[in-house]
Amino acid sequence: MKIVCDRSALVDCLALARGVVASRSPTPVLTCLRLHAGDAGLSIAATDGEAGLEIGVGSVEVKEPGECLVPADKLEQVIRSLDGDDTVSLETERTMLHVRGADSHFKIFGYEVRDFPGVRAYPTDLPGFSIEAGSLRKMISRTLFATAVENSRYAISGVLIERTGKKLRMVATDGRRLAMARGECRGDESDFNAIVPGKTLTVLSRLLADPEAEVKVVRQGSLIWFRVGEGSDLACLSSSLVEGVFPPFEDVIPKDHDKRVTFDIGELSSAVRKAALLTNEESRGVRMAFSTSKLTLSSRAPEMGEAEIHVELEKYEGEPLEIGFNPAQLTDALKVIDGTEVIMELKSPNKPGVIRSGNEFTYVVMPMTLG
Amino acid sequence: MSVPRTILHVDMDAFYASVEQRDRPELRGKPVIVGGSGGRGVVASASYEARAKGVSSAMPTVMALRRCPDATQIKPRMQRYQECSREILAILEEFSPLVEPVSIDEAFLDVTGCERLLGDGPTIARAIRRKVKDALDLPCSVGVGPNKFCAKLASEMAKPDGLAVLNANGLAETLAEFPIERMWGVGPAGALKFRAAGYRTFADLQRADERDLAKRFGEGSVRLKALAAGLDERVVTADREAKSVGQERTFASDLEDPELQQAELRRYAEQIGERLRRHGRMAWEISVKIRTPEYRTFSRSRRLDEGADTTGAIGDVACGLLEEFLRGFSRGRPQPLRLLGVTASALTPKEGPGAQRPLFEDPARERDRRIDRAADSVRNRFGKGAVRRGGPGPSRGG
Repeated sequence: MKIVCDRSALVDCLALARGVVASRSPTPVLTCLRLHAGDAGLSIAATDGEAGLEIGVGSVEVKEPGECLVPADKLEQVIRSLDGDDTVSLETERTMLHVRGADSHFKIFGYEVRDFPGVRAYPTDLPGFSIEAGSLRKMISRTLFATAVENSRYAISGVLIERTGKKLRMVATDGRRLAMARGECRGDESDFNAIVPGKTLTVLSRLLADPEAEVKVVRQGSLIWFRVGEGSDLACLSSSLVEGVFPPFEDVIPKDHDKRVTFDIGELSSAVRKAALLTNEESRGVRMAFSTSKLTLSSRAPEMGEAEIHVELEKYEGEPLEIGFNPAQLTDALKVIDGTEVIMELKSPNKPGVIRSGNEFTYVVMPMTLG
Repeated sequence: MSVPRTILHVDMDAFYASVEQRDRPELRGKPVIVGGSGGRGVVASASYEARAKGVSSAMPTVMALRRCPDATQIKPRMQRYQECSREILAILEEFSPLVEPVSIDEAFLDVTGCERLLGDGPTIARAIRRKVKDALDLPCSVGVGPNKFCAKLASEMAKPDGLAVLNANGLAETLAEFPIERMWGVGPAGALKFRAAGYRTFADLQRADERDLAKRFGEGSVRLKALAAGLDERVVTADREAKSVGQERTFASDLEDPELQQAELRRYAEQIGERLRRHGRMAWEISVKIRTPEYRTFSRSRRLDEGADTTGAIGDVACGLLEEFLRGFSRGRPQPLRLLGVTASALTPKEGPGAQRPLFEDPARERDRRIDRAADSVRNRFGKGAVRRGGPGPSRGG
């Protein structure tokens, strides 16, 4: 293999691919990237055994086709370090990769390409759906943060993707709060549910930089594929799905609220952030006291101090209420809403609260018991 | 300036050993060592008779017995000491609502403003000593000072079985002659460093340049200057709860069998879970401590998505952490270990302020809870060793 690449395009692709490889693995090839140069240009493949990514690199001149398998972190560091060079040349010598810049020459020891487990090819013959990258990216950002770090008895370490006709829903929960995003998709009739691992969606989100690119999604058995873009920029991400049962989330979205308030997002975010300053690990809750014209947020951290913040309310419907929330859980949701207004629906101090932004975003959060 | 305070530090003398001498009158006046037996057991507490022969706590039991061969060695009965500790706290709470237990055998009291009712600090201190003696027949030392630091210094001066007072007036001068070893947080090793840098007494610290302290000993040491002058603003908080609950053990001989290692972790999980449930706490972080025969110590921890107080949940996480560690450390091959420990931290109340209920009910954890409830109630009726879960372990027959 002998190629000349645009350095910055290569760095971008390496950074994306690095998101997939295992950071540490007893199997060294899982910490490697496979570079393949052929008629279609250069493509980089990475896998951690669960997820696999194959991404095309633009602006490459292929002088001799070929392949190599080299450690991802070293290759990325080397290419990144050549910041004075517009182009870099890559050339293989058996399992070794020569990287040359204007004044530099690196030899990176690699592995036999045949040891690479490979990434699953995109199954072009299967039904699926398409969605605009910008819209998918927004749905990911509105749910991914609410996933659990690991599975409990329910499969909640990933985001549930649920397609029904043209309607797409994504849902995530960590057992204390739940985020649901709605969007629209196109494609043939193939409704499905799948729980996609958080890590896969983190990588996918980075592939969605161009909001207008088209994303195709196909699912088969316990696998899912996302194909982004086309031509030399094509990226294909495959992943195993999270096995197990997603909790019965529709049951916990309250429908019987009798208190409703509309906030300016900036105002509410700022008030919650202020109140959060005087909470700590032991007293994480912020008290929110609603009355017809005013919301008072208060917090108290032993040995630290207290805070009290007032917010004028224009639209509060219902009886006065005092309820406690974990401010971080509120902020997480407020961060991902665009627009200027947000609606909060409440029932009682021990019933979950709901935050809504239009029909596109619903967030359910359990209150905290107040002292 | 803040309002002058009166703080008491109550410290039980040779607590475990004193409890044993009280419960077994034949041991009174004789050297007693409470501590683990076996090759690596250490002294948890030694009676003053044993201390006179050079025994100190944390010394290997083997060495202690060499120094004091006629000592009676007793295995710790933690439950008994916990009981006594609770009774002592109950007595202290009669004197002030602001009682902050520091450990099983010491506590701070803020008695500011109690003068009219109970008398001044030394009067209250005497009353406490008398009451503890009368009700529990246990010796304690009490220090009186204008803040926590001084009260603690005073109780050290009072030991054993005494009372000492550090007055706010002329405090800096009184403290000036104290050797650096008496400073809060300075151990024998730290003291050598301070001495090498020319800080031999509190007076040297009083004169210290804060930047020099920070540079030599880290940012945390800056406060030592104020402490050396007897200034300490920390308040006595009654509602301070334990920050963590843990359990660890050094094995008499290294433990290599992975199943036995896991069984050991589950045993700690049982004890930790029981303590969490008794105090109505949930843990949001579990760590394991691992020590290899070469004395390399590792710690691995995990934040939980869901607070845990069941033996099952704590054991699962602890075993998972050990497994993960061994996968990286010994590629999953059996690895002899010298010590294992489990700690549950980031504790929040299960009910009451700060609690957050789950969105979804959990059938599996509900079952764990039922098992725990049954085990806890058997333990309450028949004592600690009455129930232990199945699973691999040395006690299980073939």
